[in-house]
Amino acid sequence: MSGSSASPLASHATGSLRLGVDIGGTFTDFALVDAQGRRVGVHKQLTTPKDPSFAVLEGTRRILDETGIALADLREIVHGTTLVTNALIERRGARTGMLVTQGFRDLFDIGKEQRYDLFDMRLLFAEPLVERAHRAEVPERLRHDGSVLTPLDEEAVRQAVTRLVEHEGIEALAICYLHAYADDAHEVRSREIVQALYPQLPISHSADVFPYRREFERWTTTCANAYAQPLVDSYLSRLEDGLAAMGFAGRLWVIGSGGGLMTPQTARRYPVRLLESGPAAGVLMSARFGVESGRDSILSFDLGGTTAKGALVRQGKPLRAYTFEAAHAYEYRSGSGLLLQIPVIDMTEIGAGGGSIVSLDALGRMRVGPRSAGADPGPACYGRGGTQPTLTDANLALGYLDSRSFLGGRMALDVEAAKRAIGDGVGKTLGLSLERAAWGIHDIANEDIARAFRMHATERGFDYRNCSMVAFGGGGPIHAARIARKLRVPHVIFPAGAGVMSAFGMLSGAQSFETMRACPRALDRLTVDEIATVLGELEAEAAAPLLACGVPRLQITCERRVDMRYFGQGHDIEVPLPPDVAPSAVLGLLPGLFARRYREIFHANLPGPVEIVGWKVEASGPAPERFMTSPNSAGVSGNTIKGERTAWFPSLGGHVTCPVYERLSLAPGMTITGPALIEEPESTCLLDAGDIAVVDERYNLVAEIGAAS
Amino acid sequence: MTARVLDPVDIAIGWDRLISIVDEGAAALIRTSFSTLVREGLDLSVMLFDARGRMIAQSTKCIPVFIGTAPVTMAAMLARHPPQTLQPGDIIVSNDPVIGTGHMFDIAVMRPIFGGDGIAAYAMSITHLPDIGGMGFSAAATEIYHEGLRLPIWKLFDAGRRDENLIDLIALNVRVPDQVLGDIMANVSCIEIVGRQLIDFMNEVGLDSLAPIADAILSQTEAAVRAALTAIPDGIYANALDVEALDEVRRLCCRIEKRGDRVAIDFEGTGPCVGAGINVPFSYTKSMALYTLKCVATPKLPNNDGATAPITVTAPVGCILNAVPPAPSAGRHTIGHFIMPLLFEALAEIVPDRVTAGSGLINMMTFQGRLPDGTPVTTGYFAAGGFGALSGLDGRPTTPGSSNMGSTPTEIFEPLSGLLVESKALRPDSGGAGQFRGGPGQDVVLRNDSGHPMTLFSMANRTQFPALGVAGGMPGARREHLVNGEPIATQGRHELAPGDRLTLREAGGAGFGPPSARPRALIADDIARGFATRDGAARDYGIAQDAAIGPDEA
Repeated sequence: MSGSSASPLASHATGSLRLGVDIGGTFTDFALVDAQGRRVGVHKQLTTPKDPSFAVLEGTRRILDETGIALADLREIVHGTTLVTNALIERRGARTGMLVTQGFRDLFDIGKEQRYDLFDMRLLFAEPLVERAHRAEVPERLRHDGSVLTPLDEEAVRQAVTRLVEHEGIEALAICYLHAYADDAHEVRSREIVQALYPQLPISHSADVFPYRREFERWTTTCANAYAQPLVDSYLSRLEDGLAAMGFAGRLWVIGSGGGLMTPQTARRYPVRLLESGPAAGVLMSARFGVESGRDSILSFDLGGTTAKGALVRQGKPLRAYTFEAAHAYEYRSGSGLLLQIPVIDMTEIGAGGGSIVSLDALGRMRVGPRSAGADPGPACYGRGGTQPTLTDANLALGYLDSRSFLGGRMALDVEAAKRAIGDGVGKTLGLSLERAAWGIHDIANEDIARAFRMHATERGFDYRNCSMVAFGGGGPIHAARIARKLRVPHVIFPAGAGVMSAFGMLSGAQSFETMRACPRALDRLTVDEIATVLGELEAEAAAPLLACGVPRLQITCERRVDMRYFGQGHDIEVPLPPDVAPSAVLGLLPGLFARRYREIFHANLPGPVEIVGWKVEASGPAPERFMTSPNSAGVSGNTIKGERTAWFPSLGGHVTCPVYERLSLAPGMTITGPALIEEPESTCLLDAGDIAVVDERYNLVAEIGAAS
Repeated sequence: MTARVLDPVDIAIGWDRLISIVDEGAAALIRTSFSTLVREGLDLSVMLFDARGRMIAQSTKCIPVFIGTAPVTMAAMLARHPPQTLQPGDIIVSNDPVIGTGHMFDIAVMRPIFGGDGIAAYAMSITHLPDIGGMGFSAAATEIYHEGLRLPIWKLFDAGRRDENLIDLIALNVRVPDQVLGDIMANVSCIEIVGRQLIDFMNEVGLDSLAPIADAILSQTEAAVRAALTAIPDGIYANALDVEALDEVRRLCCRIEKRGDRVAIDFEGTGPCVGAGINVPFSYTKSMALYTLKCVATPKLPNNDGATAPITVTAPVGCILNAVPPAPSAGRHTIGHFIMPLLFEALAEIVPDRVTAGSGLINMMTFQGRLPDGTPVTTGYFAAGGFGALSGLDGRPTTPGSSNMGSTPTEIFEPLSGLLVESKALRPDSGGAGQFRGGPGQDVVLRNDSGHPMTLFSMANRTQFPALGVAGGMPGARREHLVNGEPIATQGRHELAPGDRLTLREAGGAGFGPPSARPRALIADDIARGFATRDGAARDYGIAQDAAIGPDEA
């Protein structure tokens, strides 16, 4: 909290304010905080899909005008974007070529040889990003230990890339060789050859993008990286130029899938690591709220316009994963998308959001989503021509949303249209009253979300019954208390600023970069020297992007993890190394660390030999200063209760007149007992009968969830 | 909730929750299982039965063999241990193939869930154990007694006390006792989770009995299945096909009688068992028949007893689709996988738009040898043939039918096996021609790179009898195995000397509809995608050699 003097970035920056910008499907959100950790302002701006940089520049201008801040006062802008996600979904990337080990050109067509649904004969799978004519085989082959079986045919590389560029017109190239994780020499040499011929051609190679074993996923990731490179490059250039033209002299950062900040240079080299960056930022914020309120285990819950997302936080750190599926090809089904390997915050996502359309299935049961009315026409209550009922329509009909104060009153909602859509769409067919039908929609969405979270937590061995939920996104705070009740989660934190939480999340990420090395080795054949070498190299690789942007070496911390398993097992487990252990001491510790971690997960140990599969190192810069997501004026003016509203609370028998609180007027220490609604411009919190919330010193509402209703 | 009649909202929520509960149990089981087949192949199932022993929810993650077998197991367990004799803390197990899933690798673990005045429900989980003794996971046995430890219905826990004699018995009879006992205890934890969650749910919504919700689930599902069956034209539909059965050929026969909202499937006429572990116990036959019908009629319905009520399945005792002890059955899938194409071909006549043409099926092999450093290893390798075409949809390349094991990445397989994958490429022209093309298979070249002799065990099919087309579609290419370019027998064992090259030519899926109806542009696209060659397309679609049908592929 000591202002700019402690920051490694101070030397580059002219001011002290920080701006977080999250580009979402419908809105681009902005959050501005100052060096004292105060929230200076928030702003929402319609996203401009054709050129997302337009909304970023326009919104930056607006929020500065609204808050009376000069651009020169901005020290940095941290930014998350759905650009790469959308490019993969809409297939708007570059015409991409591929050099591939001879004999393996058809890998993408052959696929994983597994169906993701056993009963549906009509499954669809993601089309390869690189069409077959643009994949060229190169004679070269390594064994799994990195030794050369067939030397690289350099002339074949020249001929292949010449054909791809001159005849096929490729705009980016992916180089994908078998076992390149074990030795990247063939890929690197191929890159040099191509660079000499075509210096302007963007090139990605598989050992560089993310050197995991499993060729299908590594090569898909490499191709996705190449595919997105030209697009991300031109987008970032427009953004940088636009900001420079406005007079911005601070630093621009892009947040990655794993929640770490990257420079535009790193983002240009690894655009595939920008997937899901906005949602990742929201989870960082949940982790921070958990730490600040002294809670170890957090279930982060984000409900937006089209989907609900959940993520888990253990001991202040979001759980990570290294596989991610983008651009589902069939009914949002897991297995139908592009299978990628990148470091990501491990999230579950289901197609239940505010705009999700309600329908009846073959059994006559109500279903919410996954189809969405999107922003256009949007829910029936938006009055833009939508006639199908959505979750937002149900929340309005139940009295949870106010037709006049939605988005701070900037958008009036049509209650009658919502009721009509619910009655015509499902209520009459099922012979249900309007309230019962609307409640069904609300409660089924809650049940679906609870189910997804229960599965996600159970699959990861996370005891959700002892955790706290952090609820955000436009719709999260309406549903959180009831989902928590279904899950028996005892506490829900409703942070202030829930509707723009991802934009705040941008400001809570540290600069970081993760790199890994796959080098399978039996534990008893590993040497101290080998460990020292691999950890030394990885630490240098991971730290390089941070050093390059001015983070002092002493402020960089490295987190080291080892993938291990019993020999012959199909699955690895990740074993974290203690932070202060020298590489020379690691070898002696590994058997015990592995045994303990294995027992934690599987409650047993096996007698067999153990092997190392790979090493991972993540370098991080210092965490940014704490800040408030609640405005400075909070709790100092106005009436706490702004009125009352009749809303549907089945646990109390039906319609109940409950108080409506003004969120911005709540002061620390106040207690609110459910049933109650608490409104701020971007979101509404719902407390059910039996829930009791207290306003903490950071203006967050912390609710104790009552027993089963 | 019990004070009033359940409305559609109550039922939808309750139904979802029960499925969620068994799914959570399955997730916990997958996470804690040692068996690779459970973790990667999802060879498991978790179910909830009401107090009357009716199955009302089954985990979404589950393979076809578990459809319809668990109710049989449950009934046998309750016959042996009637409900009034059960106490809290009882856990009953069995792996007897006759009342189970058809082989002894699958263990069923069941507990009554006590709530309110007595038994509120029963939870059961079934998983494929890493080992069960005997001759291992192979077709090598000639009698069931060779196949391992067969456990009768037995109380693993009696009022919370574990039977240590049973534990010792299992530990003595399997190769990897820690893993096997670990997996059995993982099942025990799984059904404890299911029990706890069910009681919590009943308390949460104030339900003292599952009966009303169970009645609604079963009757709504049964009504939906009956409605779907009613929509299928009445009649008797029969089919027969021949399959390779270890040096012999067996004929499989089916007769499907569809009347109103009911279906009866009979396998009368099917040939006898063989002296190898590929015979199919009836429980497996019934599951595959129910699975096939579900794919045709109601693929999106959750599974429960209501879904199977309108369907009867029968097969003569002693035929290869109703094997009884002492006939061995560890590799029952080898023949059992043909039940789906057998029934699909019969149904193609009446519901052509719901069936797939024949698929190339999956090739499951085992390699036994040594790594270059001398370590002995046994490695499985799976390679899929092409999927059959459907009305309106080309068959996908290299996609398994009936089973669903998935492939091992080359980068993972090579260090585990001592084999080198020299190439793995589409097999052009192997998918049957048709208005909708069958999925191509693949050509895989494996070289024994270990420096030691290696043994291949294989039970490959579709070598004599290709996948057959529907509605005028052409058959897929047949499967072949070659060593150093020379064909070898595909069923049985084969020695690979160091440096030997094994080529797997995986079978293609069959086409749907006449080849003449395939648009020229799609044929050109097949060539561009490597699914067909110019010459092959010219031959299969009767296009003049000089006609322009797209660029030639390098």
